[in-house]
Amino acid sequence: MPQRGFEEVVLPHLDAAFNYARWLTKSDADAEDVVQDAAVRALRFFSSLRNDDARAWLLTIVRNTWYARFSKPGRAEQRLVLDDMKDERPDDQLDPEALVIQRQAVKQVQRAIEELPADFREVIVLRELEGLSYKEIAAVIGAPIGTVMSRLARGRERLLAILDPDLTTGGAR
Amino acid sequence: MNCPEVDRVIDAYSDDELGAAEAAEVRAHLDVCPACRHRVAARASLGGLIRRVPYYAAPDRLRVAVATARRSARVSPRVLAWAAMVTLAVSVGSGTVTRAVRVRQAAAATTAAAQDVVASHVRALMATQLLDVRSTDQHTVKPWFLGKLDFSPPVDDLAPIGFPLVGGRLDHLGADPVAALVYQRRQHIINVFVRPAVDSGEALTDTRALGGFQVRHWTRGGMTFWAVSDLNDTELDQFVRALQP
Repeated sequence: MPQRGFEEVVLPHLDAAFNYARWLTKSDADAEDVVQDAAVRALRFFSSLRNDDARAWLLTIVRNTWYARFSKPGRAEQRLVLDDMKDERPDDQLDPEALVIQRQAVKQVQRAIEELPADFREVIVLRELEGLSYKEIAAVIGAPIGTVMSRLARGRERLLAILDPDLTTGGAR
Repeated sequence: MNCPEVDRVIDAYSDDELGAAEAAEVRAHLDVCPACRHRVAARASLGGLIRRVPYYAAPDRLRVAVATARRSARVSPRVLAWAAMVTLAVSVGSGTVTRAVRVRQAAAATTAAAQDVVASHVRALMATQLLDVRSTDQHTVKPWFLGKLDFSPPVDDLAPIGFPLVGGRLDHLGADPVAALVYQRRQHIINVFVRPAVDSGEALTDTRALGGFQVRHWTRGGMTFWAVSDLNDTELDQFVRALQP
């Protein structure tokens, strides 16, 4: 029973949709294509949207669209584009030297996430960048909560193993 | 708990997804186990780094493309008018006001209010009018409302628990003027709408997800509060609990 318009429901979550697609595809152009296709699909299935879960619903459609387009093995994974940092959020509490070190660390983390298999990459992005709960992630990826938890655990273990140990212990001591 | 048991739930613990009892057991183990403590700390600093990687916002041309995509499929106003008439006819026809009907009306009032809350939140995020007064200091934000509203909203500083105040603005819910307090958690904005409590058949508390946003409603000290955010439910509940003494 969609009482509200498509635009009202979808546009507020467009950043989330694009960020998710961008991390899945690792390319601006592909992410735009995926989100645009997803919007067309979303419009077609708009009547099936229950009133309470527009963001998870839209992210699920983005995921399915990406999957349909890029799931041929190697197709998406080969195009590893390392953009310059565009949207870096430095920590204003650090001195200049510490900032440089943090920036390098963030760049290394970005690269490490991009190298993760998509299954692990997406749960990390949904959790850490979108702030979704396990339940919400489970709805987006269509898997049980236990799977969400084990993928997050394995994804993080891999990142910790790839990264320089100083990066992840230095700040916490 | 021992180390392997802690290891099994270490992510859920770090993500605040464990129940209170289980989290307490993990904490008890961490108090006595430096190795597990180290593993939790490593996850925390990894999380801090991950949250600084680029967040890719949708480009404007994509926003425009999506907005135009739906134009062709809009429901005509005449259909909506007809649907409204049917709804009216049904409610007039229901006659006697029983308790069940009153409960349903209260639920409908609350639903309508929650929809206003989400609409105001989205309007504030999409326009450039999120903040009329920008300050992290509750003693600046609270007096700012003086003379602009005929009530004084309580303003709490929640920075110590990780929800810094960023400012406030005047807004409205339906036709009523409200104080909007803006808090932040990472890149998520939380709007808190405050106005004097009136008995309009609204429920006293409400918890729901609407249009991809979490919405919370409560009443305290003669004021009624609505909190809305795209933050996940666990963290928003933590925020709301801090505002309810």
